[in-house]
Amino acid sequence: MDVVIQIIASGLTLGAMYAVSTVGLSLVYGSLNMLNMAHGALLALGGYICFYTMTALGLPAVVGVLAAVVVCGLVGLLIYVCTAAPLLGSPQFETGVFIATIGFGAVVENVILRMFGPQPQPQSLQVPGDIVIGNVHIPNQNLLILAVALGLMVAMALLLKRSRLGRAIRATAQNREAAQLMGVRVGQIYAIVLALSGGLAAISGIMVSSLYSLLPNMGGDPMLKAFIICIVAGLGNVTGAVISAIALGLLEATAQYNLGVQYSFALLLFLVIVVLIWRPYGLFGRKQVVRL
Amino acid sequence: MADALLKIDGISAGYHGQDVLRGLSLTVAEGNLVAIVGPNGHGKSTLLRAISGLLKLTGGSIQLGERRLDRLRPDEIVAAGVVQVPQGDLLFPEMTVLENLQMGAYLPAASARMAERLEEVYTLLPKLRERQHQVASTLSGGERRMVGIGRGLMADARLLLLDEPSLGLAPIIIDQIYEVITTLKHSGRTILLVEESAARVADKADHIHLLDHGEFVWSGAGSELMARPEILATYLGS
Repeated sequence: MDVVIQIIASGLTLGAMYAVSTVGLSLVYGSLNMLNMAHGALLALGGYICFYTMTALGLPAVVGVLAAVVVCGLVGLLIYVCTAAPLLGSPQFETGVFIATIGFGAVVENVILRMFGPQPQPQSLQVPGDIVIGNVHIPNQNLLILAVALGLMVAMALLLKRSRLGRAIRATAQNREAAQLMGVRVGQIYAIVLALSGGLAAISGIMVSSLYSLLPNMGGDPMLKAFIICIVAGLGNVTGAVISAIALGLLEATAQYNLGVQYSFALLLFLVIVVLIWRPYGLFGRKQVVRL
Repeated sequence: MADALLKIDGISAGYHGQDVLRGLSLTVAEGNLVAIVGPNGHGKSTLLRAISGLLKLTGGSIQLGERRLDRLRPDEIVAAGVVQVPQGDLLFPEMTVLENLQMGAYLPAASARMAERLEEVYTLLPKLRERQHQVASTLSGGERRMVGIGRGLMADARLLLLDEPSLGLAPIIIDQIYEVITTLKHSGRTILLVEESAARVADKADHIHLLDHGEFVWSGAGSELMARPEILATYLGS
């Protein structure tokens, strides 16, 4: 029983972290058909901004988190201005923006490297203590990650479902031209979506670095997993991304316990292959018919 | 003769450097229903796309009242009062009927009168009230077209552009759609409509323009066009 509790606790924590990161990616892909390869760099930037605000400036954790969200949101906006906006309308948009965001991400990572060095740093935002269920100690840090992720998912769901902005984001994702004909300024929506995604990446980066450590390239692994989750869920499907993230987090924790850490990532990749063969448009994606 | 609301002066526009519209001029008077008829692929939808700002002009100008439209973005053109009900469905497939209608009143001016507008749309198209919580992708073709028209009516439009509202629908549904369009005309709406079939709009439009290869080749009243079988046979094959 203790083992099950341990696996569920670890799996939910992993899943919650993946969900926050995946929702940002999925939102961007759903709206712009854009694979944002700078997302991992934004995760790292968010972690470092929080660390710097708390350690170097001596400010409280809340300010650190807010600073990370604001800075990464603004960098998300910059990604729109520098990479997506100039390529919008180009027939090679998807390829062009994929390459451009790789370049943008490399610049951000190298700026972090110059400023903070290559050595790992511990994230300052840590919640001490744990709770005990049976014989299992669950760190409060993990519970905080779960609570924050849950809060963010609810907030995102409310934003997308209930607000005027959310309706405009969904409308633009579902039919860009029809959204324009309703008076939606799609460029503005794209910019907002990238800023939102940047803010979510910052929180995800703080979560990841609070469990592991800060490194300039720390965003690579979570971004790769977020892409895997996006593909399993169906690119652009936000709800599917959250469900898949939690499921894959639990699967990864189970695989780590039963097979060993070295097999968990291989298992995720195997799962992607199976899903792509079975449902090429993802578990929650919709079949698309392209007229040639 | 009422004042001209829409003035199109010698516009040209097209795709990939090839003009589809060649120096078109047109006026639509306030409260009138003007129809553009013509065969497929001769520029009818392109004209509406150009008016809505989805396609840049290569020449000429478009004015709504005193305001130049051809330098504005699509969202600014909607805010100026030109709303298009596009060809086919172009609904938001994963949204409900109600959400689709709410998107029609996206801009702040229309949003402020959302409840009132919604009631007007439900009165005109009662089926939409029954279907308001249904996801758009699950509707029939006729219902989807009704949602498209209802969505167009949610905005405070000074000019309504209707792109082939009968396309792909069964005759009985087409009759229902045209009943709605006739009601809109009688309520004083200004409408620019494009259709493939002249017979369908001949008795409803105040003025008809026949579009062929991006140029108007005939203009006049619907009854005059129907009395010219040689023109119908030459340009519309009927």
